Amino acid sequence: MAHLVIESLTKIYERGKVRALTDVSFEVERGEFLVLIGLSGSGKSTLLRCVNRLVEPTTGRVVLDGVDVTRLSPRALRRTRRKIGMVFQQFNLVKRSSVLANVLTGRLGYVPTWRALLGRFPKEDLERARRALSRVGLLEKMYARADELSGGQQQRVGIARALMQEPELLLADEPVSALDPATSHSIMQYLEQMNREDGVTVLASLHFLSLARRYGTRIIALKDGRIVFDGPPGAIDNAKFKEIYGEDAEEVEVR
Amino acid sequence: MSGEGLPVLGRLRRAFTLGLLVPAADALVLALLWFVGSLFFGFLLHGREVYFAGPWWLPLLVIVEGALLWAAWGRSPGMVLAGVVLRGSARGRFLYWALSHLGPVGAGLALLDREGRLPGERVGGVEFVEGRPTHRPWYRTSVGWAAALGMALALGAAVGTLQIDLQALLTKAPATVKYWQQVLRPNTSLLTLGIQLLIETFFMALMATLFAAPVAAALSFLAARNLTRGWIGRPVYLLVRLAGSITRSVDAVLWAIIFGVWVGMGSFAGSLALWVHSIVDLLKLYADQLESIDPGPVEAVTATGASRLEVIRYAVIPQIVNPYLSFTLYRWDINVRMATVVGLVGGGGIGFRLGGALTDFNFSNASMYMILVIVLVWAIDYLSARLRAKLA
Repeated sequence: MAHLVIESLTKIYERGKVRALTDVSFEVERGEFLVLIGLSGSGKSTLLRCVNRLVEPTTGRVVLDGVDVTRLSPRALRRTRRKIGMVFQQFNLVKRSSVLANVLTGRLGYVPTWRALLGRFPKEDLERARRALSRVGLLEKMYARADELSGGQQQRVGIARALMQEPELLLADEPVSALDPATSHSIMQYLEQMNREDGVTVLASLHFLSLARRYGTRIIALKDGRIVFDGPPGAIDNAKFKEIYGEDAEEVEVR
Repeated sequence: MSGEGLPVLGRLRRAFTLGLLVPAADALVLALLWFVGSLFFGFLLHGREVYFAGPWWLPLLVIVEGALLWAAWGRSPGMVLAGVVLRGSARGRFLYWALSHLGPVGAGLALLDREGRLPGERVGGVEFVEGRPTHRPWYRTSVGWAAALGMALALGAAVGTLQIDLQALLTKAPATVKYWQQVLRPNTSLLTLGIQLLIETFFMALMATLFAAPVAAALSFLAARNLTRGWIGRPVYLLVRLAGSITRSVDAVLWAIIFGVWVGMGSFAGSLALWVHSIVDLLKLYADQLESIDPGPVEAVTATGASRLEVIRYAVIPQIVNPYLSFTLYRWDINVRMATVVGLVGGGGIGFRLGGALTDFNFSNASMYMILVIVLVWAIDYLSARLRAKLA
């Protein structure tokens, strides 16, 4: 059984009556590194957010491990969300809080509410936080304020936060778009490591086709909210590229 | 527009806005112009207040006809508000103007039209479309000219109404000399009493601020648009915001009078007045701060499977603690100044004695109290600014 099944997913934003997604369907096997590509506004972010219902789909189903996520009660949804890690383009850390506090929020789905509200995380979670931070090489920054860190370091904190959830699925919404090329590769390698060593299924949206080719095991391209390509990275030739990005586009490489 | 036409709600909105709201707004603007014009020419020609010049039918004709002509041939204030322009030929505009005399009946007829067109639009072949007619800035359009004319007339009318006496202002200053002499000799025997009263005033401000902050902080979560969604949240949000606006619009001085009657004049009444006013003032500052937090962390913490309370605790509160403290200090600083003012109307503290000294024309006493107030206000102002700089 596929790990994640997306069935004829459609999202229409009420206000502007914008169709962000139109009848999108695909399946993801466990352990895949699936990269979503497409122009800005093609629906990549909306698609990712429909998976953990940060955005409510208008119609269609999202089935994770045989469970229809779109039908879950609020409580059951929170239990499902804790198995889905997410990293963001703008990192989305609480800037005034410490690195440790940010990383610990990854355990909020597991810790009883009263403990969380008092800030009394169990000892194991503190130990887990240390392990997550040393894995991304930021153990010495544990007590620094999040906004004292560089962009790349902040994204590593975001990854550590996701690691705390011990996720089975990782959603990465343009995780390297705000970073320079060298840092981008370092971040992508952390995601690759999670995918290969921990067996986490990864769904990442990326701007650069070169990054998608280098890290993805499969690529889905969106255009105006519809799937226009679904296949292995090698199958995107020049004609396909023009179809996805438009006639005038030139491929830019990130080395 | 063609094809299936507008849904009923769209027609209703179009007919209501273009058929009723736009002419009503234009007529209101013209009525105001006529009013200030009457005042202005009344003073100029008769030297007295004339509120509405002319026989009753003349202003009525000018207002109604002016509004209809303005909409047909120019870009009227109502059209600016509705964000529309009228497109079409001169003949079409003439027909539109003629048929717009139907008034509300015309708006009603627009509901029967499939596209919600007003009768004048339909017959004249003209159409209201969204947008701006020219690239001219607004002050060079007819609306700008009307505003300038209104302002000039109002200024003239104000000069007439207020009986401005420049001669007195320039020549009668020596009459105040004896007061200034007293002010320059403050009654130093009041120093001890003054300091006691000053401490009372200071505590009024402190108590009001300390007890207002938690109340306002709790309420602010119900008054932030981004945290109150759904069919329970939205009405609560509107209610709290509305109650806050109404309470805030009542000045602290009025609250001091109300509480003076309620619990008796004195510093308790003054503290209560400051307390109420601080709650609603802080409520607005806090809630606006909540509405401007970075939504990213909220999204990220929600995605980990955290509950609503946990999201507030870990993604919202860390973002607002420092701004909240900063606003509270700012409000404390205001309260120290306001404590004197509410004292003037019976709210106790040094303001009460200051008010008494002023009504007795005892400027020597008043001077002593004022010096003490100035020192306190300056000190708190400085302290609050320094502390707020640390929090930024």
